[in-house]
Amino acid sequence: MKQLITIAYILLIVTSCRREFVAPVPNTDWDLFNSPTAVRLTRLTMNKMEGIYSFGAGADVFGDSTALKWSYTVSGNDTSYKLSMFCEKQAAYFILEGKRLDTSILLNGYWRKLVNTETGRVRLTINQVNGSNYLISPSPLNSNNKFAVTGTFSYGDAVPDRPVNIQYNRSLNRTTPFQIIAHRGGGRTADILPASENSIEILKLAPQLGSTGVEIDVRLTKDGIPILYHDARLNERLVQKSGLLGPIENYSYAQLNTIVRLKNGERIPTLRDALITIVVNTPLNLVWLDIKYHGSLQTVAALQAEFQQKANNMGRTLEIMIGIPDEEVQKNFLALPNSASIPSINELSPEKVIQTNSKVWAPRWTLGLQNEEVAAQQAQGRRAYVWTLDIPENIQQFILEGRFDGILSNYPSVVAYYHYAKK
Amino acid sequence: MQKNRHLIFFYFLLFTITAYTQEEGFTSQPTKRGEYSLVAYISGGAGYYISNRGVPHQFRSNISNRGRIGTVRVMWHPDHLLKVGLETGYLTFYTYSFEDSVRNSGNVRLSATPLLVEWTMAVTKRINLFAGSGVYFLKTHLDYAGKTSSTQVSVGWMAAASYIHPLSKDIGLGAEIKWMDAAETADGFISAQVQLIWKFIKW
Repeated sequence: MKQLITIAYILLIVTSCRREFVAPVPNTDWDLFNSPTAVRLTRLTMNKMEGIYSFGAGADVFGDSTALKWSYTVSGNDTSYKLSMFCEKQAAYFILEGKRLDTSILLNGYWRKLVNTETGRVRLTINQVNGSNYLISPSPLNSNNKFAVTGTFSYGDAVPDRPVNIQYNRSLNRTTPFQIIAHRGGGRTADILPASENSIEILKLAPQLGSTGVEIDVRLTKDGIPILYHDARLNERLVQKSGLLGPIENYSYAQLNTIVRLKNGERIPTLRDALITIVVNTPLNLVWLDIKYHGSLQTVAALQAEFQQKANNMGRTLEIMIGIPDEEVQKNFLALPNSASIPSINELSPEKVIQTNSKVWAPRWTLGLQNEEVAAQQAQGRRAYVWTLDIPENIQQFILEGRFDGILSNYPSVVAYYHYAKK
Repeated sequence: MQKNRHLIFFYFLLFTITAYTQEEGFTSQPTKRGEYSLVAYISGGAGYYISNRGVPHQFRSNISNRGRIGTVRVMWHPDHLLKVGLETGYLTFYTYSFEDSVRNSGNVRLSATPLLVEWTMAVTKRINLFAGSGVYFLKTHLDYAGKTSSTQVSVGWMAAASYIHPLSKDIGLGAEIKWMDAAETADGFISAQVQLIWKFIKW
């Protein structure tokens, strides 16, 4: 009996230990893909590949259909293109690179499901038999051009050996402008993405996750530097342990920059660094500055104006807007000189939206579809974004039945799937 | 000469303890029905910060996991086995020093003041088990680019085992092994303390 009790205690202690969840990006080495004769795809080929596809093999893992869309990041003079596949099932997505080898198109990368830690490698091919010639040729696609993608996937770092194939069905829905806005710069740290929330790295990843815009959280350090950080305090949810605890505004930027690292090892970025990244390195076209502090907005407004001008000068289609989440921030916003001309997103009532002359009204999703209220905003020349929608069924409902101009989500890949697949 | 003095003091202490323990000594077990008392446990010692990942990777070689701990506990000893009380004190979880990229130096110290409700039971005449929960008032002491201190409250718990050697009916000398855990911030500390136990009120 005593032995049983002892074993029970040991089991209790062992099983009560905190479990670390990880979903590391798999090694994607593929000799064929890296062969010197493999060349980059042309923009025309990439454009023709975008569309809605149906799964044959692999449907049990990824769902019945998927939306394929290219995005890019710029690094110096180099632009790197990634093909994302936004899947129907369990917030699954693929991130792939593409090359042409002779008459075949090769796609190499990894997949991940955001509802769990499942991830793995993917190797796909479009060969001549499956219609690569339609994609490679300079002629536009016509409705008789059929093509399919075949290949293998695996779990973890294993060599891909499970069959997967998708068949092109139709083009992406692009009927109305729609913002897919990623929460916290691209996604939450809790979802064990390859980069921490509100980091420079997640901003670069955001377009691959389906985002057309990002919401980022702005706080001030003790010395008044606007930084990106969501919570009021330094805590183990967001940063590696450092011995620094308590409100983040207790620390200067120099202290945070030297000592504190986000969960994946990144530094806490300044708002300036984040805006440089968005303007220079990404195709994102909306920045929602979620103001998380109560105090003067002058520094933030100055950065907004500076980078809006930079983006305009570069010919970038980009809107940087100050978010107004509560009455106190609204008061501080209205205290800014010429506040009515500063682009803003107001989360309060439609009446408050008029007071601040906000370009966007952003109610919470729990208030429902509010189609009449949304239509009233649109009639005034404003837009309406809803936050924060994460459950796939709700996202589907808001896209199919709602009239919002954008959705803020921790799962932009799910929003992207339902938006691009909408008929 | 100094060494001899220490030796004389040690023998005197040993003699005193032996002499006191000839009579019926302090015990945490109930002695008779209807006897209540308040007992103070005054402890001091050293400990080791045992939670991993305590320091940023780049500074990990400069950490000192050893810290000091001093605690005061007051327990209500009723006429049955289970007793209840409060514990507070001060401990240093860890300290580390570092240099930034331009060789400016800095250091960080993380300390805590626990405030815990505790339960205890004597498992033998002299061995006691303690467990409790409450809050830890954690404090960061940062000396880099200016001095900064910052506080945070974390829920937490403790567990301990002690051996109490009686010196008299109301006084004991003990040793305690204690695990203190600020759960919310995942800061854990194991310590060994010397303890003076004093039954200061009886009714």
